Amino acid sequence: MSSIKEKFNQISPSEFFYRNRDLAGFSNPTRSLYTAVREFVENSLDACDQKGIFPDVHLSIKAVDPDAPDPKPYILTVKDNGPGIESKHVPLAFGTVLYGSKFGLKQARGMFGLGATMAILYGQITTNKPVYVKSSTDGKIQDEFELLLDIQKNKPVILKHNTKEVTKRGLSVSICLEGDYAKAGSKIKDYVYETSLITPYATITFDDPKGEKFHYSKIVNDMPPAPTIIRPHAHGIDVETIRRMMVESQFEIPNIDDAMVEKVRKDLGLAKNNLAFTGIMDKAKKRWKTLSKPVRVVIALMSFLKMDFDKLNKIRIEDIDVPNKKLYYWDFGDSQSKSVDMDPESQYYKQLTGTVQGETLTTFLTKRFQRIGPSTAVKFAEFAGFKPEKRMGSMTNEELVKLSDSLQKFEDFLSPDPSCLAPLGEEPLEKGIKKFFKPDFCAVIQRPASAYSGFPFIVEMGIAYGGEIRPGGPHVYRYANRIPLLYDEGSDVVLKVVNDTDWSRYKVKGDPPFVIVTHICSTRIPYKTVGKENVADRQEIERELRLGLQFLSRKLAAYMSKRGQAEMAKKRANLYAKYLPLIAQFCTELAGKTKEPNYKKLLEEEIIVDDKQI
Amino acid sequence: MTTNKSKDRKQKAIEKQQNIIDALKDHGAKVYGDLDNGQFPKFSIPSRSVSNIVYDKKLRQYILGNSAALRSSRNSSQLRSFTQLMWLAFFANRLTQEKKSSTLRDVYYSSQAFAIEFEDQSESDNIIVDLEAVLSKPREDFHIFPEERSSIFGDLNIEYTIPGYEGKRMNLSNHPDGYAIGPSLTTAELVDTSAEIVIAIEKGGLFTRFVEEQVDKKFKSIIINTGGQAPRSTRTLLKRLHDEMGLPVIVLTDGDVYGEHIAMVIKSGSANAAHLRELTVPDAKWVGVWATDIEKFKLPTIPMTESDIKRCYDLQSDPRYQEGIWKKELDVFLKIKRKAELEAFSKYGLTNITDKYLPQKLELAKSL
Repeated sequence: MSSIKEKFNQISPSEFFYRNRDLAGFSNPTRSLYTAVREFVENSLDACDQKGIFPDVHLSIKAVDPDAPDPKPYILTVKDNGPGIESKHVPLAFGTVLYGSKFGLKQARGMFGLGATMAILYGQITTNKPVYVKSSTDGKIQDEFELLLDIQKNKPVILKHNTKEVTKRGLSVSICLEGDYAKAGSKIKDYVYETSLITPYATITFDDPKGEKFHYSKIVNDMPPAPTIIRPHAHGIDVETIRRMMVESQFEIPNIDDAMVEKVRKDLGLAKNNLAFTGIMDKAKKRWKTLSKPVRVVIALMSFLKMDFDKLNKIRIEDIDVPNKKLYYWDFGDSQSKSVDMDPESQYYKQLTGTVQGETLTTFLTKRFQRIGPSTAVKFAEFAGFKPEKRMGSMTNEELVKLSDSLQKFEDFLSPDPSCLAPLGEEPLEKGIKKFFKPDFCAVIQRPASAYSGFPFIVEMGIAYGGEIRPGGPHVYRYANRIPLLYDEGSDVVLKVVNDTDWSRYKVKGDPPFVIVTHICSTRIPYKTVGKENVADRQEIERELRLGLQFLSRKLAAYMSKRGQAEMAKKRANLYAKYLPLIAQFCTELAGKTKEPNYKKLLEEEIIVDDKQI
Repeated sequence: MTTNKSKDRKQKAIEKQQNIIDALKDHGAKVYGDLDNGQFPKFSIPSRSVSNIVYDKKLRQYILGNSAALRSSRNSSQLRSFTQLMWLAFFANRLTQEKKSSTLRDVYYSSQAFAIEFEDQSESDNIIVDLEAVLSKPREDFHIFPEERSSIFGDLNIEYTIPGYEGKRMNLSNHPDGYAIGPSLTTAELVDTSAEIVIAIEKGGLFTRFVEEQVDKKFKSIIINTGGQAPRSTRTLLKRLHDEMGLPVIVLTDGDVYGEHIAMVIKSGSANAAHLRELTVPDAKWVGVWATDIEKFKLPTIPMTESDIKRCYDLQSDPRYQEGIWKKELDVFLKIKRKAELEAFSKYGLTNITDKYLPQKLELAKSL
């Protein structure tokens, strides 16, 4: 039996992502190039959307050595006219992998900007070249950075930084990465094309490595309203999220260092003179109302410790054990841990427990979640079996699990607030479809907001037929949060709904020139895989898609039957023109006449009659 | 006497031709008039759907009921078949006027010269049946004939009426392979015969045997090979032999349900030709091979197939199979579920059928 020594190393977030880059879509040169394009373009569009700027995004991919075979290093540059990033934030934004504790929800293409950092990390790993960032927030001064990431320390290394006078605002990011354009090219072109359909208010330009230029100008002059940030919905929450929210809601025990002591003295008006313990307490009582929360906590601690400022400087608070009403501290003088009892009757006790144990359940619910009022919060507490005034900090693990479960199960919460969603809108969608496909027929619909598992969503759809659409339809263009979903469509919920439809019922037959566009907006799209290419078949989403498609299909059917009538009339006219002369010829001989009957007026009459029918 | 009779017949034939030509002209004139008046011309065609086919006990055959379908050139889905029907009338008119004949297959190909597309021959065959229904005349009357596969042999003198052969006579016992029953034979004058009976037989093999064994002489008969289900021209000829020459007709078939029905069609027509009334020989008699003969003559048998049995049940619901030997034999077939071919008699020697079986049956026929 040999003992195995295991070594536990803490790794930085950068290192974690480096080791798991497959998950983020950087598994091979083809996919990495495509993913990098997506991340930067989507960041640019998101930034512009948030500030209500019509995006003008310029994407360029250049081979470092055009003659080398793929895969090879490419320089990928994405330039936008967005708000830019303040100079002091640039290194952190691009030179660290951040993992945030964002609880606010709103619809955005990407989450937390992680993907862009991953792209930079991938570029640095494969080519060992820095990232170039140019940013101007005011359109006058531009900061130019050359950065590397220190992967182990998760810190940016600034190689160069200078400023320059410019005339345009915006951000430009340029990285060098190993890619395979020969394989990724068509995918990237599709991506740019389809993105411009769902962002008709944006101008997108793409210069590809072979010297081709793809330019899509904006075709609508209205920006869809920017989404607002909202608090999460109770149904969309888990234990871990509650834990993180509690950390945010709790007030930290202040670190009683020299600076803190100075602050307490100053606030009590005792900056110069030393008072004994009782004197300090008296003074505090008098000034209580003017004192800030951290100062109140220090005073409360002092009341139990019965110490003056000098003594306070010689200890460190270790733990506040509320259930056992004990206060533990380390005495530097005696070099040992000591404790005092806390009197629960003391007026300071409440101050301390309130700080340590955080908000009450009802306050936590009404303040931290959307659409929960005080009465609903009380009702919920009853439903979940908690006292409404129960402090969040006093919850055991089991109780947290119970709370989380109950939040999922309680049915009287209002449905999620869709104001955090930013659908494109029917008019821009219709304009986009008409401009892109030049169809004979087009119809769009935006379904009312709905929700799944506490996440609000809206489905928008468009349908187009005929015109310049190529046959072989329905061609399905899928979008989620204004991102085109290009691949892996077989397992997607949209395809499922489309394939379930019996198109012959809507008079669509054969090899139709037929396009369907779907856009699902949500604070969280339920992707089936990390590749963000297909949406899982949540029944609520499937239902909205189905209803939307049915509505549009009925409109299409009405159009098709009109179109069918017109075609039929034309066909009939042709039939008469073909057969009536033959009938005339045969009956002339049968009847033993020499001159054919005058059937021509019959032809003219027939066509007029049919015109009226349409 | 004979010349007078012949003249009568000739006159009759000419009248028949003229009737057809007149009927066609009437229809043509009506269509012409409609077109000239700015009206869409239309035809009324007796419906041949199953619901309109009824059995007439008096006539002892299937006939069409009263319902008729309107085929209008106004209706774009009927325009094509309307034009096809017009073309066929036009084509039949030319055939009849010029005394030329055409096969069903010919019709199909001739149509292509006039930009009338028939998708296949069955479509053109259908239009021919439509014209038959409109005129209430068999297609042979307007000179359209099926491919021939039946033949005749025996002492019968005929006189041709077809162009180029008018007045030429022929005795149908001069050629031992028999004579094909085609348009020239069906339209010929039947002059005279020494025969006293017509024997219709289902199979070519047996027909040859009967000629070899001189059944025509031994039994004073005319032998006709129907080649399976008798074609219309053969049924027309059988009817004429019966009606014009006063000869009784007996039918000899395989001992199975299909054989029984071949005899029934000669006697009382088929549902397919319910729109026509001149194709039946109501007095024709089926003399064998009966189901009861199979045991009586100890014939070698083969088991009935599924479809044989199904056919038996189908015929059980046919009004013509509700009495007499028709019902009796059908029931026995169903009971023994076995069948025997005419050739089965060869077990007892090649001439057994002509020496033993046929005389018995001819005797029996007199009492049927």
